[in-house]
Amino acid sequence: MPKRLASSLSDEVLEHVFSFIQSEKDRNVVSAVCKSWYEIERWCRRKIFVGNCYAVSPEMVIRRFPQVRSIELKGKPHFTDFNLVPDGWGGYVLPWITEMAGAYPWLDEIRLKRMVVTDESLELIAKSFKDFKVLVLASCEGFSTDGLAAIAASCKNLRELDLRESEVDDSSVHWLSHFPETYTSMVSLNISCLGSGEVSFSALERLVSRCPNLRSLKLNRAVPLDKTANILRLAPQLVEFSACTYSAELRSDVFSNLAGAFSNCKELRSLSGFWDVVPDYLPAIYSVCSRLTSLNLSYATILSPDLIKLVSHCPSLQRLLVLDYIEDSGLEALASNCKDLQELRVFPSDPFDAEPNASLTEQGLVAVSLGCPKLQSVLYFCRRMSNAALVTIAQNRPNLNRFRLCIIEPNTADYLTGEPFDVGFGAIVEHCKALIRLSLSGLLTDCVFEYIGKYAKKLEMLSVAFAGDSDLGLHHVLSGCESLRKLEIRDCPFGDKALLTNAAKLETMQSLWMSSCSVSFEACKLLSQKMPRLNVEVIDERGPPDSRPENCTVDKLYIYRSVAGPRFDMPPFVWTKDEDLALRLSP
Amino acid sequence: MELQLGLSLPSTPIFPFKMLDLNSYGYELREGLGPFGINVNNNCDSCSSSCSSSSSGGADDGGGGTKKRRLFDEENRIVPKTLPLLFWTNQRPNDEDEPKDVDDHSSSAIFKNDGEGLVGWPPVKAWRKKVRRRVANVRAAVENSCGGRASSSTYVKVKMEGNAIARKIDISLHHSFESLTTTLMRMFDISDENGQKSFKLTYLDREGDWLLAEDVPWRTFIGSLKCIKLIRSRC
Repeated sequence: MPKRLASSLSDEVLEHVFSFIQSEKDRNVVSAVCKSWYEIERWCRRKIFVGNCYAVSPEMVIRRFPQVRSIELKGKPHFTDFNLVPDGWGGYVLPWITEMAGAYPWLDEIRLKRMVVTDESLELIAKSFKDFKVLVLASCEGFSTDGLAAIAASCKNLRELDLRESEVDDSSVHWLSHFPETYTSMVSLNISCLGSGEVSFSALERLVSRCPNLRSLKLNRAVPLDKTANILRLAPQLVEFSACTYSAELRSDVFSNLAGAFSNCKELRSLSGFWDVVPDYLPAIYSVCSRLTSLNLSYATILSPDLIKLVSHCPSLQRLLVLDYIEDSGLEALASNCKDLQELRVFPSDPFDAEPNASLTEQGLVAVSLGCPKLQSVLYFCRRMSNAALVTIAQNRPNLNRFRLCIIEPNTADYLTGEPFDVGFGAIVEHCKALIRLSLSGLLTDCVFEYIGKYAKKLEMLSVAFAGDSDLGLHHVLSGCESLRKLEIRDCPFGDKALLTNAAKLETMQSLWMSSCSVSFEACKLLSQKMPRLNVEVIDERGPPDSRPENCTVDKLYIYRSVAGPRFDMPPFVWTKDEDLALRLSP
Repeated sequence: MELQLGLSLPSTPIFPFKMLDLNSYGYELREGLGPFGINVNNNCDSCSSSCSSSSSGGADDGGGGTKKRRLFDEENRIVPKTLPLLFWTNQRPNDEDEPKDVDDHSSSAIFKNDGEGLVGWPPVKAWRKKVRRRVANVRAAVENSCGGRASSSTYVKVKMEGNAIARKIDISLHHSFESLTTTLMRMFDISDENGQKSFKLTYLDREGDWLLAEDVPWRTFIGSLKCIKLIRSRC
């Protein structure tokens, strides 16, 4: 046995040094230096991120990292957000909580995304982790206010409770009242997803008034305006606030109360909510606008003139989420006022209408790309685009790292030339060398994938829909994109050849989703048989895939690498290779 | 932190990539890319000769590149135990497949599939749709009470199942299902009685759902109507 290379430093010293290394990538590198460093590192790793909860089992995580304090898990694939994954697919957190309850008594942070969380899981969390501090349930479902009551009652040191975009069943329990009167630790509370019956306003007020460290408060829609002002006066130290329902007509007393409350909030940097807002109330927030760095107006039906007035008061804005009501003129105003802008998301107010109901075109995005030198992240829904605009954007903003464009009508061509957008997106990947996330749309041939495979070397996530001509498109991406982790494809003519040729690549990626493409069940079985470290799941609600004719393609395919082997919680509509079926527990 | 699964690509590719020389593939690359300055062919030449990615097979560098790995020297290469799942042949992919269906660009693809619409497109989160539904309902209610429609135009598209041509109808001229139906029957030349019974009136609402007009009151119909489709009733 060779002498330890690091023998001049004792374990304690190394552990102390490692404690300064927080980034997961750095930690992974450290653990690969030598066996002794691997050992030391695994004992002192405190934070774990598992991007796919089925890639590894809780037992494996616990075995390697015995002293974890913080865990983040993600479950269902991203396309679940768009109803492409049937209910019951999976992503259950209970097995994880059960294992961790025994192994990690000092676990204090759990962050989950797109997982099924039951009241039983929440009760187990409340019971098992004595110093529990942070619970984030993003886009989760399966639990009710009963589970929340258990958390409120037991977690004396809870600092963060964030239920963003989760679906919570109303069990009619006044769960907020379950926070004892002695509880004062709340720092961040996000209950914006709850319905009107699920929050007792007086309990909320009492909670806010006794939590002096409260920094972030995102309320649900049922809180009326005058109550909003009260809350703000109780918590002038807030940094983030999600406003509530605005009443239908302007009342000057309510307005001045609200304006006064906002003007007390010197630390406020982020505002969101604004459902049903009447533009006449907007000036109530003007006193905080100059300090705002983040503004989410994507639920507000405010039209362009009022939006322009608003953004002209916000020179420090770094992040803006807004509906297409902002129009090109509003984006031009944004470009001239908000020089610190880093992230822009423009959502469609009426996504299902073939006709545009707001004058938002590619010009708005071009203006922002020209005027905002720090722009890095873009999500843009529009109804027309040109290659010229895309090339201009790429040349203006080579520092883009996230570019997601959704031209609403599939297969829309360049409105100026009638050409596909191969050249435009090609320019994006060629100029934006730091691009890590890209979503394509519009008319696209295999050519765009050739550009992507050639230039997008840092790309980690790619979303494709209604694009390409042949397997060559998929082949370009799988063979060229070295950093690719997640690939999600729908309605493209990609089939068996590209998939099987690049089978080895799939093991280097987190996951691949393909729906309404041209992959056969035979190819799935073959892939599954030859690649034991891939879980190949065919999601098909029409019945057993091999009962259909040979040339019939699978409906949905989800392939992900895993060291945990096949999972045992698959619903009847998920089909895998035959040997797995025998191992399944009977329903 | 992401668990390192330590899986990198094998140092020799699993499958012979003879056909990864994109220039000789037979796939016609676009030329003449106009004022935007990207000449694909030039770039591809330089790319394939300098490409050193271990994942892609790269081109056979007879053209002069600096790659050390000779991927196509079949006698010397050791094929790893993992069996090749597919040999990428010289044949143009998907040759035997049917030609790609050229989409009918004139009608909105969002409304295809016989009116069922595309699932999950546009990619707007279900959560966001739900919130917007609530907001839209409030707006519609406010506007309806003022007697106006949500959008400025009162013309809506009408399609009939089996009829390729869509028509437009001024919905503001009608105040009941009876008058609307009568006009539609006349428009599509359906002779009364039997004709009327054999068709059902359906409509697309602002949330993207296709609904039966007979299930809702007129005011609701008007407030959320996007377009109309007459479908054959199958009973």
